[in-house]
Amino acid sequence: MAEYTLSINGQSHTVEASPDMPLLWVLRDRLKLTGTKFGCGQGLCGACTVHLGGEPVRSCVTPVSDVGAKRITTIEGLDLHGAHPLQRAWIEVDVAQCGYCQTGQIMTAAALLAKHPKPTDRDIDQAMGENVCRCGTYLRIREAIHRAAGQRKEVAP
Amino acid sequence: MTSRRDFLKVTGAAGAGLVLGLHLEAKPQPGEAAKTAFHPNAFLAIRPDGTAQITVPKVEMGQGVRTALPLVLAEELDLDWSRIEVVNAHPGPDFKDLGTGGSRSVGATWIPLRKAGAAAREMLKAAAAATWQVSADQCRTEKGFVLGPGGKKLSYGALVEEAAKLPVPKDPPLKKSADYHLLGKRTPRFDGPAIVTGKATFGLDVRRPGQRFAAVLRCPVPGGKPKAWDEARAKAVRGVKAVAEVPTGIAVIAESTWAAFKGREALAATVTWNEGPHKDFNSRDLEARMRAALDGPADTARQLGDAPAVLKTSPRRIESEYFFPFQAHATMEPMNATAQVHEDGADLWLGTQDPNETQERAAKALGLKTEQVKVDVVLLGGGFGRRLGTDFSREAIHVAKAAGGGPIQVVWSREDDFGHDLFHPATLHRMQAGLDGSGGIAAWSHRIAGPAILRSWLEGTKAPGQTQAETNGASDIPYDIPALDVAFAEVEAPMPLGWWRAVEIVPNVFARECFVDEVAHALGKDALQLRLDWLGQRGRVKVGRHEVDIARLRRVLELAATKADWGRKLPAGHGLGLACHAYDGRTYAAEVAEVSVAKGQLRIHKVTCAVDCGLVVNPAGLEAQVEGGIAWGLSALFTQITWEKGRAMQTSYQDFPLLRLPDMPLIETHVVTSAETPSGMGEPPVPVAIPAVLNAIFAATGKRIRRLPLEDGLI
Repeated sequence: MAEYTLSINGQSHTVEASPDMPLLWVLRDRLKLTGTKFGCGQGLCGACTVHLGGEPVRSCVTPVSDVGAKRITTIEGLDLHGAHPLQRAWIEVDVAQCGYCQTGQIMTAAALLAKHPKPTDRDIDQAMGENVCRCGTYLRIREAIHRAAGQRKEVAP
Repeated sequence: MTSRRDFLKVTGAAGAGLVLGLHLEAKPQPGEAAKTAFHPNAFLAIRPDGTAQITVPKVEMGQGVRTALPLVLAEELDLDWSRIEVVNAHPGPDFKDLGTGGSRSVGATWIPLRKAGAAAREMLKAAAAATWQVSADQCRTEKGFVLGPGGKKLSYGALVEEAAKLPVPKDPPLKKSADYHLLGKRTPRFDGPAIVTGKATFGLDVRRPGQRFAAVLRCPVPGGKPKAWDEARAKAVRGVKAVAEVPTGIAVIAESTWAAFKGREALAATVTWNEGPHKDFNSRDLEARMRAALDGPADTARQLGDAPAVLKTSPRRIESEYFFPFQAHATMEPMNATAQVHEDGADLWLGTQDPNETQERAAKALGLKTEQVKVDVVLLGGGFGRRLGTDFSREAIHVAKAAGGGPIQVVWSREDDFGHDLFHPATLHRMQAGLDGSGGIAAWSHRIAGPAILRSWLEGTKAPGQTQAETNGASDIPYDIPALDVAFAEVEAPMPLGWWRAVEIVPNVFARECFVDEVAHALGKDALQLRLDWLGQRGRVKVGRHEVDIARLRRVLELAATKADWGRKLPAGHGLGLACHAYDGRTYAAEVAEVSVAKGQLRIHKVTCAVDCGLVVNPAGLEAQVEGGIAWGLSALFTQITWEKGRAMQTSYQDFPLLRLPDMPLIETHVVTSAETPSGMGEPPVPVAIPAVLNAIFAATGKRIRRLPLEDGLI
């Protein structure tokens, strides 16, 4: 066990953990930040995506000892009240079905928009292609990203 | 032994057309809510501040029941949708069938929920009428208020005390669909805001005071048991608290999920297994037995005329064999349950599609009375039939009992989830069509060989409904064919089987609708025209155990074809394919797929879907289910589970290639406007997607695909 001081969503947290414990379990089991999801534990599905120093990473394969002083942003830190343009778009387009993968989808999309404020379909394919959604909400994910980027007209009620 | 009720429930899940009643007359539950609120039935409470709490009598797994079912009640009661709180029901006397599957949630609760809302509406009107000393006929309701003559207006909240004193009417008048203002309009998912902020609670998000975490080391071969292991190795891992043998394997209990996983890994290095009688089981041998079974005796599901004799004498006979592989559910949230066993009973917090069965089976495992087990259902990170099983909740109960003390969350890794799924079984299909001298269809035979899901579900018992369940989608072939033979030849297999979105309808409709296309091609007929010819101009007809309205099936077929511009000239390498099905005679679906194949690479461009499910409760929910259902079907073009040395060979997403965002085709959904009683939409879009795409591949390339999954370079 070792002690780590982590910067999560703008706050400093000190946790005890074995060095190989993935950031995912530090967030979920130590800090009860359960918005970040466990999907595969192998970096294959994207449900556990958080931002590390602004970059999207798979927290399930990121050992806590690798984090260092880098800023961590989780879904709880994106906007707790759902005011981020992606969260609003996700509601407006009614993306979620079961909803389990969606926080990882949103975090991946947020990193994309930070780099490409007006992403093309190809940019979206590239950024989102490794996030699995078993409910098959992909068309709406694409639509919501465009909408958050301000590129699509309102969806008729 | 499995009770008859279990059987009814499972056949219900498989789509047997059973509607199990809800308990409209259930008494208000004692407690604070009953004292301070108007609580006329188990579904509804209105508080003095005017907020309404609706208890949902089915389980939310992404199909939208926590939105759709409250909408039905809110419509009848004219509730203010912005002032509604939605809670999940607990299994018990008020809610005896929370089991959710078979696309029947809306259909099964449609009348009870409307009556519940209407009864409350009449009571609130009567309470207002008494206050104003007018007749109830002079009152009407609107968005949380009763309105009376001369501009009189009282909120529901102001009326709860008076209304609560009135008798609950048994047969309240129901609204006419022309008066609906909530139903038929797009209503976004109730849980959307909680989901996008990460606040939504799924099973793995349950955090109870003093909670520990556990992982179970299970034998990779079904029926195998641990022979010897060294628990000291697991206990040497920091954070591991205990190791305990449970019926499913060896549990490692720890202070975090990670420590439990690490402890289990250490334990796994020491274990030796008695792998039992199935250690040599493999897919090849099973397939050989399935092929042999097609020539042996089979259980007849539907017989019309003497199909074998007609086939023998037909001037032209077409025969093909189709194969559909084993499939896994691969829900995004792996299986899990949090359990606590204490002096007075046990508590479970989990995502389950069958809270009642979960409660009963947990009680039985502990030798308790059913009501001594409390089941709290949270959101499911995907259900798709997997969470109809009670294997994971029973296991958690055993782990909690063995560990003693506080709550334990048993977490399945992704590899556990693949390796110990309740699998969808492989099936082999022998299709035969006999044509008469003038190119008409004279006989049709569809024989299916494979393991029986229902027998596995009933732990080895062959239920009377087994043959019908396994041939659903084949025995209810809707085409007007003079001689029919549909049969199921059961083949034994050791792994546990279960319900998988649209279950056996998927492989059966895959084989049926692809073979229809083969016959159309052999006859040089258009695939749409051939289907319309074979359907004929009939009304409601009994096909197998279902009743199908042929006019409704024709309508979706024609609508999908029209909207996809069937028959249009396509670019080189492109093809259109078509398929249709009447799901249990309740929901009608037709899909046209457009694909292209270039240098062996398949691209699915678009799926145009037409559906008729009767009255649409929530169009937003319907479209989501069509898109998700098609995605489910398209994934199954590429995925499979195979078996070697008794083990499932696929362990995670890298060898189970689910559809990803870049591969998702455009989907266009067209709905037939209908006032018929609403039916479901979770499963019906699934089965037609696969044959629509495969028929389109044939149109594009001339290559007929009869075996799934598609493999690279196969096309």
